[in-house]
Amino acid sequence: MKEEDVIICRCEEIRRSEIIQAIKEGSVTIDEIKRRTRAGMGLCQGKTCRRTIAQLISKYTGKPLQQILPATFRPPIRPIKLKSLGGEGNCCPKQQM
Amino acid sequence: MIGGGVIGTSVTYYLAKKGVKVLLLEKEGIAAGTSSAGEGVIFLQLKKPGIHLKLALESTKNFKSLEEEIDFKIEYRKNGTMLIVQNEKEFEAMKIVTKELRKTGLNVALLDKKQAREKEPALSEKIFGATFSSEDAQVNPMYLSLGLTKAAISFGAKIFTHTKVIGINMHRLKRIKSVKTTRGVIFTNVVVNAAGIYAPEIGKMINLDIPIIPRRGQLLVTEVVPQILSRPVTAAKYLAIKYNPEIAKIESKAAAIEPTENGNLLIGSTREFVGFDKRTTYEGISDIAESAITMVPKLKNINIIRTFAGLRPYTSDGLPILGKVKGLDGFIMAAGHEGDGIALSPITGELIAELIVNGDTNFSLEEFKLERFLSDN
Repeated sequence: MKEEDVIICRCEEIRRSEIIQAIKEGSVTIDEIKRRTRAGMGLCQGKTCRRTIAQLISKYTGKPLQQILPATFRPPIRPIKLKSLGGEGNCCPKQQM
Repeated sequence: MIGGGVIGTSVTYYLAKKGVKVLLLEKEGIAAGTSSAGEGVIFLQLKKPGIHLKLALESTKNFKSLEEEIDFKIEYRKNGTMLIVQNEKEFEAMKIVTKELRKTGLNVALLDKKQAREKEPALSEKIFGATFSSEDAQVNPMYLSLGLTKAAISFGAKIFTHTKVIGINMHRLKRIKSVKTTRGVIFTNVVVNAAGIYAPEIGKMINLDIPIIPRRGQLLVTEVVPQILSRPVTAAKYLAIKYNPEIAKIESKAAAIEPTENGNLLIGSTREFVGFDKRTTYEGISDIAESAITMVPKLKNINIIRTFAGLRPYTSDGLPILGKVKGLDGFIMAAGHEGDGIALSPITGELIAELIVNGDTNFSLEEFKLERFLSDN
């Protein structure tokens, strides 16, 4: 297997070559890569791949890793059923997310 | 060109296509703000009958050929949309709305419960009926912006992302001279303000008051699921909320469900005035969840993987601000589309490009001028 064929985002099956292409086309943040390739849009919401992507951005743009903007974090932390939020099965009314 | 959302990238594309030398300035990335934080429905039946719908209908013409024209998959699909009516009162109101829409040229059908559930079997048995508009479509807003950007570059446009505008310099006779950015000064005769919710910030640089306010919409994203719905469905109640802010204060539970090309469902949306706060709230999200389950009960066992919120550029009359500004030679507005930016993106780009190149447009922009707000003072 070639290095560029390695899948970086397992949920959306996005390969290393696609991430690098997006960087070459001007994406310099994790969110920009996400909007272009869907990497980080899947079930795990980028829990694994965002670090690898940050490293790739750093490698191809020459920017230090600390300067790569982090992705936006949003609830929920892990997938939850719709009914636990609203309607009859609602688990926790008035509780803050 | 200030702003790299669906509006800014569209204006850039149509200008570059006409051979105009254009530079797009975007303070973050392409479609980083509002354009990537909403749904992608070209919802014609939610437009205000009259000039607003006319503009959207013009835009629809462009959408049909756009994918081929820019050679980029923007996930354009025309499956129509449905507005779900929950009771007789809403049904009576929708009779009037559909009549008005038909007058402006949009053919919207009223369906009873049986007809509605034949089209979308997943709809609840408890609904009253629905309206159906076959011309409505969907697009992926991020791919739309990226595709327009790529096509604009092929026509010679330059794109500076992560470049913030920090000032605008004028000649003495109120004529645009240059734009100061974090990457240096750019000399130009024309500036287009397509900064969306940040358009007032740009206005301030030349002492211009632009009445656009951020309005938050919270959404949820479900996991990828086998097809439940074949087209976007939205609570008909939404129509009333959209044009009557008084109703939004009392009742905000009206969900819009969009099946995306990838198989995730996007479910929105709240309409709140909370400044520039992009956080999601438990209350907002659970209201949407509740309303969505009421329309499509099957949803209750589906997982959500993310919540998010975007800020829409709201204007008090629901119309965008487009065109030249009196007394400011070379300054052009293209902002304030609220939730209609995706649908109005192609036509806005085409008209603004026409205005810059020809000095005037075939489709009158009179009702969209900024001056409509200023004359009250």
